[in-house]
Amino acid sequence: MSKKIYDVAIIGAGVVGTAIARELSKHNISIAVLDAHSDVGDGTSKANTAILHTGFDMVPGSLESKLVARGYHLLRDYARETGIAIEELGALLVAWSQEEHDNLAKLQAKAVENGYKDSVIISAADVYAREPHLGPGALGALYVPGEWIIDPWTPIVAFATQAKLNGADILLGTAVIGVTIGAHNTLHTTNGDVEAHHVINAAGLYSDEIDGVFGVKDFTVIPRRGELMVFDKLSRTLISHIILPVPSSMGKGVLVSPTVFGNIMLGPTAQNLEDKTDSGSSEDGMKFLREKGSKIAPELLDEEITAIYAGLRASTEHSDFQIRLHENKYITVGGIRSTGLTASMAIAEHVKELLVNSGLSLGAERALPAITMPNLGEAFTRPYQDEKAIADKSGYGEIICHCERATRQEVLDALESPLPPTTLGGLGRRTRAGLGRCQGFYCHSELRKLLEKK
Amino acid sequence: MKTSQVDVLVIGGGPAGLAAAIELKKSGVNTVRVLERERVAGGVPRHSFHPGYGLRDFKQFLSGPKYAKKYVDGALSAGVVVSTLSTATHFGEKNSVQVTSPAGLETISARAIILATGARERARAARAVPGKRPAGIYTTGSLQQATYLEDLAIGSRAVIVGAEHVSFSAVMTLKHAGVKTVAMLTEKKKHETVGIVRFALGLWYRFKLMTKTEIVEVLGDKRVTGVRIRRSGVESVIACDTIVFTGNWIPDNELVRRGGFAIDSTYKSPVVSADAQIPGTSIYAIGNLVLPIKAADKCAVDARAIAKKVAASLR
Ligand SMILES: Cc1cc2nc3c(=O)[nH]c(=O)nc-3n(C[C@H](O)[C@H](O)[C@H](O)COP(=O)(O)OP(=O)(O)OC[C@H]3O[C@@H](n4cnc5c(N)ncnc54)[C@H](O)[C@@H]3O)c2cc1C
Ligand SMILES: Cc1cc2nc3c(=O)[nH]c(=O)nc-3n(C[C@H](O)[C@H](O)[C@H](O)COP(=O)(O)OP(=O)(O)OC[C@H]3O[C@@H](n4cnc5c(N)ncnc54)[C@H](O)[C@@H]3O)c2cc1C
Repeated sequence: MSKKIYDVAIIGAGVVGTAIARELSKHNISIAVLDAHSDVGDGTSKANTAILHTGFDMVPGSLESKLVARGYHLLRDYARETGIAIEELGALLVAWSQEEHDNLAKLQAKAVENGYKDSVIISAADVYAREPHLGPGALGALYVPGEWIIDPWTPIVAFATQAKLNGADILLGTAVIGVTIGAHNTLHTTNGDVEAHHVINAAGLYSDEIDGVFGVKDFTVIPRRGELMVFDKLSRTLISHIILPVPSSMGKGVLVSPTVFGNIMLGPTAQNLEDKTDSGSSEDGMKFLREKGSKIAPELLDEEITAIYAGLRASTEHSDFQIRLHENKYITVGGIRSTGLTASMAIAEHVKELLVNSGLSLGAERALPAITMPNLGEAFTRPYQDEKAIADKSGYGEIICHCERATRQEVLDALESPLPPTTLGGLGRRTRAGLGRCQGFYCHSELRKLLEKK
Repeated sequence: MKTSQVDVLVIGGGPAGLAAAIELKKSGVNTVRVLERERVAGGVPRHSFHPGYGLRDFKQFLSGPKYAKKYVDGALSAGVVVSTLSTATHFGEKNSVQVTSPAGLETISARAIILATGARERARAARAVPGKRPAGIYTTGSLQQATYLEDLAIGSRAVIVGAEHVSFSAVMTLKHAGVKTVAMLTEKKKHETVGIVRFALGLWYRFKLMTKTEIVEVLGDKRVTGVRIRRSGVESVIACDTIVFTGNWIPDNELVRRGGFAIDSTYKSPVVSADAQIPGTSIYAIGNLVLPIKAADKCAVDARAIAKKVAASLR
């Protein structure tokens, strides 16, 4: 192994770790990002509901409330700047019982406490005028126009790409298994030792275990499984807002929401587990979602399902984010449970402040390399619809994944990018190829061949 | 954007679309163009290498690729224009269709449009079979493409879900790929193929046909390690590294639905008249786009009969 001592090593290349890497790479310091997986964003960050939260329902005064509110604006602007798909849908928190209806005013007041002033209570008639396919029984709703949807995967690749182009080392397939604390920190990994002055733990579900390695015990991660069903694009016309339930103590509850890719998503469930690797969906979970879904939007259940999956939220015994500066120039970024996508860029700013507090001198800010990411959103012009793009490179006119209408050139672009995918899943997250309704009936083997050729 | 005009535009270059196109030319229709989104026309038989095609239309017992080639050659020599790598993306105004190909975008107007986009098997997700998402899960279609077209490694022990005709096609493909079929499961009381086929293949390939059995979970993390099954309320596990979801068809109805045409609730196929016509339009639907599933030769024979009527309507 090289004797290089990095200024900062970040453990975890999820949305949080990569956002931190990007933020720090604005400065002339040496950075390593380590992840056990072969791709960035292959942990919890790959399986969420992709909502850009305003933070209207956070615990007022919490760190999460502050970072979600700030992160919302940062990520929104970043998405617009780099061409990441985002849609300004707005959410309806639909009340299905009198009790829930009585709660709407409280939620509205809480939103104001969280600094969000644009929500309004609307009548049942207004709810059905906006969403004619909702099931019967809605009594009214809190309309939150600022809740939007975003492509959840491209930001991670974008963050990591900018960090990499500015000199950060992205060390994939590198799991941290121990540390020796000395004049600096030596991380022992499955890929040899990595030495660094400052270490940031952004290990998601495993952040408590990394804490343990550093002799810290502030919290225990309780994996909370969220199962999801994704419906065919042909269902997209059924729903036009994010349909949220009135929240309960177990979290945000089951929602029905369009995705920027043009699907409708139903979920997530919320179930505390023991096993941090139990990221499978379950028979009970699917049954529960069907029951919920048939109440919220009955016609949705007649549509084809294109994907089922589960994500594990890194919840803890505390309700707030667990971000702390410890001894030995070690920072924990844990408990980023169900708003980490939205908050990521604000978390990164916050962590940068902590690093400075721990004695790292960052020097002047330098520009990040400008990048344009593929816009995979259905509301935008995709390459297969773009006469100019096809005239420029005919591969943009060769549709390789018919369900998602992803083209050969987009696949080649991804394979030749600074951070190429290593799995079919990673290729799908970058291009949509193979993620559609046929689940590879038509294109799977062609994609596998292209990937294996790399 | 390029625009062009034909008498009949056929969307989908499988057996049904090609058989119809050939018949249209034979019946004197001037310009007939077939759009096929793949690199090569021929449809599903292209990657279905086992024999079992062509009895009704060619009075021969052919392998899929030979059968597909006969139709492609037949179309070309009949004067049909076959455009490959050309996807019809949606209907445009006044009987026109939008097309994407490496040559760019094109709007094609036609006096009649024949949809022959076929059907596919429902994949694991569409059946909402829970579990993680390990590698080693196929439909017969993707299995055949991986095996025959791309020559990729598959695995060693397979469980087949479904017991229709196509499921036995999966058995033969697995054998070719060096994979042993350990069991075939169906929720039904009985398999749905011809008795002799089930008997002969079961004997030959020695696998267990389990009826009234449902798959309740996919096991494995990175790679499939087994399936959890349930029979009469009792659960058990079969070890395997490959799962093939077979049959359980869904038509490729995207164009029809985006075009706003009616879909039947059982099969999700376009609602058509006895003459295969979408009521009130000069758009027709043929082949396995109109379920229930049929063998390729049956699709082709029916397509010819409809093509004759379409040709007559244009005279
Ligand atoms: C069902 C669900 C729905 C959600 N919906 C939303 C939403 O709508 N909006 C929103 O903003 N947020 C949402 N979230 C939350 C969001 O997805 C998470 O907060 C966020 O992804 C957490 O990112 P992370 O980087 O902290 O964790 P992760 O993505 O888990 O990243 C941690 C990384 O650390 C790596 N790692 C762990 N241990 C080691 C080790 N020892 N060595 C090396 N690497 C290691 C892992 O491989 C992993 O890649 C949702 C979450 C779930 C589960
Ligand atoms: C694994 C398997 C094994 C089988 N074994 C047998 C057998 O042994 N014997 C037998 O007789 N039958 C068999 N069949 C059934 C047979 O393949 C079908 O009956 C036959 O292919 C149906 O023909 P089709 O033209 O309707 O559809 P397809 O063959 O599916 O052709 C449809 C074509 O339309 C194209 N297309 C779709 N949408 C568009 C669009 N928007 N733009 C342009 N092109 C488009 C597709 O790319 C495809 O080429 C088998 C099927 C499978 C899946």
